[in-house]
Amino acid sequence: MTNVLATVIIVVALLAAGHALVTALRDRAMGTGHLVVLGVLEALLVAQAVTGFVKLAGDEGPEHPATFVGYLLGVLLIPAAGAGWGVLERSRWGPGVLVVACLAVAVMIVRLNQIWSGTGA
Amino acid sequence: MPEPEPGVRPGARADAGARAGTEARTGTETRAATGSGPGRLLVAIYAVFALAAGARAGVQIATKFSAAPVAYSLSALAAAVYVLATVALARGGRASLRVAVAACAVELAGVLVVGTLSLVDAEAFPDATVWSGYGRGYGFVPLVLPVVGLLWLRRTARTGGGSHTGGGRPVGGG
Repeated sequence: MTNVLATVIIVVALLAAGHALVTALRDRAMGTGHLVVLGVLEALLVAQAVTGFVKLAGDEGPEHPATFVGYLLGVLLIPAAGAGWGVLERSRWGPGVLVVACLAVAVMIVRLNQIWSGTGA
Repeated sequence: MPEPEPGVRPGARADAGARAGTEARTGTETRAATGSGPGRLLVAIYAVFALAAGARAGVQIATKFSAAPVAYSLSALAAAVYVLATVALARGGRASLRVAVAACAVELAGVLVVGTLSLVDAEAFPDATVWSGYGRGYGFVPLVLPVVGLLWLRRTARTGGGSHTGGGRPVGGG
């Protein structure tokens, strides 16, 4: 995988998680700012999915790509689902949902890279 | 007659009053509000685990089911339980409450049994499931989650669900 893109996604996801955590601790509900950040994160994940499939088509990557593809597509669901679920809760628990979603994205990207480089060794 | 503000009668249940109060005000009092307030966070965590366990079980069963059918079937069971718990907690209401309690109980039993088995008989579990080693691979969240879930359900059962009919059967968890 492109390590630059993965690193950018992880950094953005962690920043978004931090932002949401601050909001939750200040006892505020989710706002437009959160949705914008999630939109950016989602766009980066789409870019990564496209890159991943292009590279897989070019005979790179793990021998059995099923798990890799699962992560690649599964992670796309998280920011969207988190935004939808969080925005309906007009309390501090809305951004709380985003903290979980963003941390999940970061963890999944780390796993994604482990799976990808598992064949490199 | 104005609404009698279920669940927030002065003096009674003061411990749970703070959060039940916000739920009552947002108009969810006709259902046990298992999916709002802190419950919303719980549902989000359950959803992440439903996705993680489901994807893992799907890949294992699709690619190498014959290698360890028992372990992979348990993986699929874990995924199904997480999905069930997520949906039941998110929906709220009485029937869902019972389903959610059952799902959390099965989950707690599963993580304890599979966790123990995976340590005792490691050969039967060549690939990690979410419940292996008491959920060690997932920061022990699978072990903590059903306990938190049952506590949360007990709390919402007391303050939310049954206050209209006056006969909210206590949903005994664990």
